[in-house]
Amino acid sequence: MTDLILLLPELVLVGAAVALLLVARHVRHARSAVTWVVIAAIAATFAGWVFSGRGPATAFHDTIAGDGYAQFFKILFATTLALAALLSVRHLDAERVPSAEFCALLLLATTGMMLAASALDLLTLYLGLELMSLCSYILVGITRDRPTSNEAAIKYFLLGSFASALLLYGIALAYGVTGVTDYAGMASALSERSLAQSPLLLVSVALLAGGLAFKIAAVPFHAWAPDAYQGASAPVAAFLAAGSKAAGLAALGRVSLVAFSPEHGLWAVILVGLAALSMAIASLLAVSQSDVKRLLAYSSIAHAGYALLGLVSGTPDGASATMTYAFVYAFMTLGAFGVVIGLGERGESLEGYRGLAFVSPVTAGLMLLFLLSLTGIPPTAGFAAKFGVILSAVRAGYVALAVLAVACSVVSAFFYLRIAVLMYMTEPQGLAPGRLPVAVSAALAVAAAVTVIGGIFPDTLAAWTTPP
Amino acid sequence: MTEYVGIVVAFVLAGTLAGAFILLASVLGPRKPSAVKAEPFECGEVPFSLPVGRLSIRFYLTAILFILFDVELVFLYPWAVVYRALGGLGLVEVLIFLGILMAGFFYAWDNGALEWD
Repeated sequence: MTDLILLLPELVLVGAAVALLLVARHVRHARSAVTWVVIAAIAATFAGWVFSGRGPATAFHDTIAGDGYAQFFKILFATTLALAALLSVRHLDAERVPSAEFCALLLLATTGMMLAASALDLLTLYLGLELMSLCSYILVGITRDRPTSNEAAIKYFLLGSFASALLLYGIALAYGVTGVTDYAGMASALSERSLAQSPLLLVSVALLAGGLAFKIAAVPFHAWAPDAYQGASAPVAAFLAAGSKAAGLAALGRVSLVAFSPEHGLWAVILVGLAALSMAIASLLAVSQSDVKRLLAYSSIAHAGYALLGLVSGTPDGASATMTYAFVYAFMTLGAFGVVIGLGERGESLEGYRGLAFVSPVTAGLMLLFLLSLTGIPPTAGFAAKFGVILSAVRAGYVALAVLAVACSVVSAFFYLRIAVLMYMTEPQGLAPGRLPVAVSAALAVAAAVTVIGGIFPDTLAAWTTPP
Repeated sequence: MTEYVGIVVAFVLAGTLAGAFILLASVLGPRKPSAVKAEPFECGEVPFSLPVGRLSIRFYLTAILFILFDVELVFLYPWAVVYRALGGLGLVEVLIFLGILMAGFFYAWDNGALEWD
């Protein structure tokens, strides 16, 4: 029974989701459902925090880990969940989305992310990622009467199913090569028998990397992201960008550093390719976007590339850098999406930001903070995190990749700061946007606080990041 | 290979029996051919027709609810096989599983998925 301690955060979230479904018909206001989600997220964080180290090191026949790596990501996912729920209040009421169902799906998707981060077995990992993905498909298409939303959900579902099939096939081949599916067993099988030349191993690693790269939307597995983010409502897009990307990174980290540790060279080749392509192509494509959600989608693809830089080296320090990056990126992207949500209809196109600084200076100031952080300009958290991953790539000898990362950052400054220029250097147009809703302000405050604190005291976060 | 002899015998018996029935029917049966009888037999449905009209969404809901219980059984069978080995913890886990499943069923029920009108 002590095994259950490791799953306490997940149990809390599942319990909250089931309870929400039971009373779904009686939930009239989005506010009550969202309050419930925030309480559940805080309880899950608390449960993970208080019982850390009390449970066994691994549970359920070595399929679930209770290490600091899992705990770090669980806290990240719980916070993402709470912020995404806060951001969605107004949208739920305005679009007449059934709020209890929406919140239950958010809770279950977060449970899947947590399972994926703590999985020590490829099959448990698959289950977690599928739970996350299936809920995400529905969340993207939950505004049923909007054709763009339906289109986005169908595209996301078809490509996502394909990626899941790739992942599953990779798992099957990895089982065929090593004879086990648990990470520790795979690592020892790989180091005992020299399987480096086995062509099946190559195919298996390629398929696993492809399936996981889809989850983090790395080029060339990125095609779904712009469409899904644009078609989905902004809070769902924010949740996907922050949460599912971190879940994919958590899974990639464990699989490439633990399960395939004797064959990390193979993974490094693939990860270098994914990182370079993601940074370069997404930064170039983002330049021509005029829809802000689409712009942020390309930005999320580029950031997947930066985050991968830490995993390339295969060292614990590199993994820590990636963890920091995933954490910081989640908050800055939630913040940027939060401003888009707070501005409503106007926030979704670039033109809506004309002269925003003169009519609502606080909103514009927050947007500027998140944009600076996304670009990677000190003293924001985005700079510290980007510095960490680039440093780890340089230490591992990938200087060319680091130069590319810096060059892509310069390109990305163009499209991030274009919004800042529109906000501060053009004449205001149309009516001033209304005041930000309280829930959105709360979420923005948390995101801004993390972005500022992470930039001024970059070591606070680094102390928590326990590599797998 | 000896354990497959029984299967081979079953196949042979089934083939012989089915073949005998078809043969007897074609030799002894009366023949009155008509256009309707020449159509491919699909449970009395007209085999070719344009898609006209709509299917009620309720068929879809019923099918989903059927899947719910179908999947439940898929998981209950292996559990029943190793019930003794798993002991009390296994029973508790299955009860939790059933509880979550029933919560989903209750949700569908509560939202009127079981009412046809």
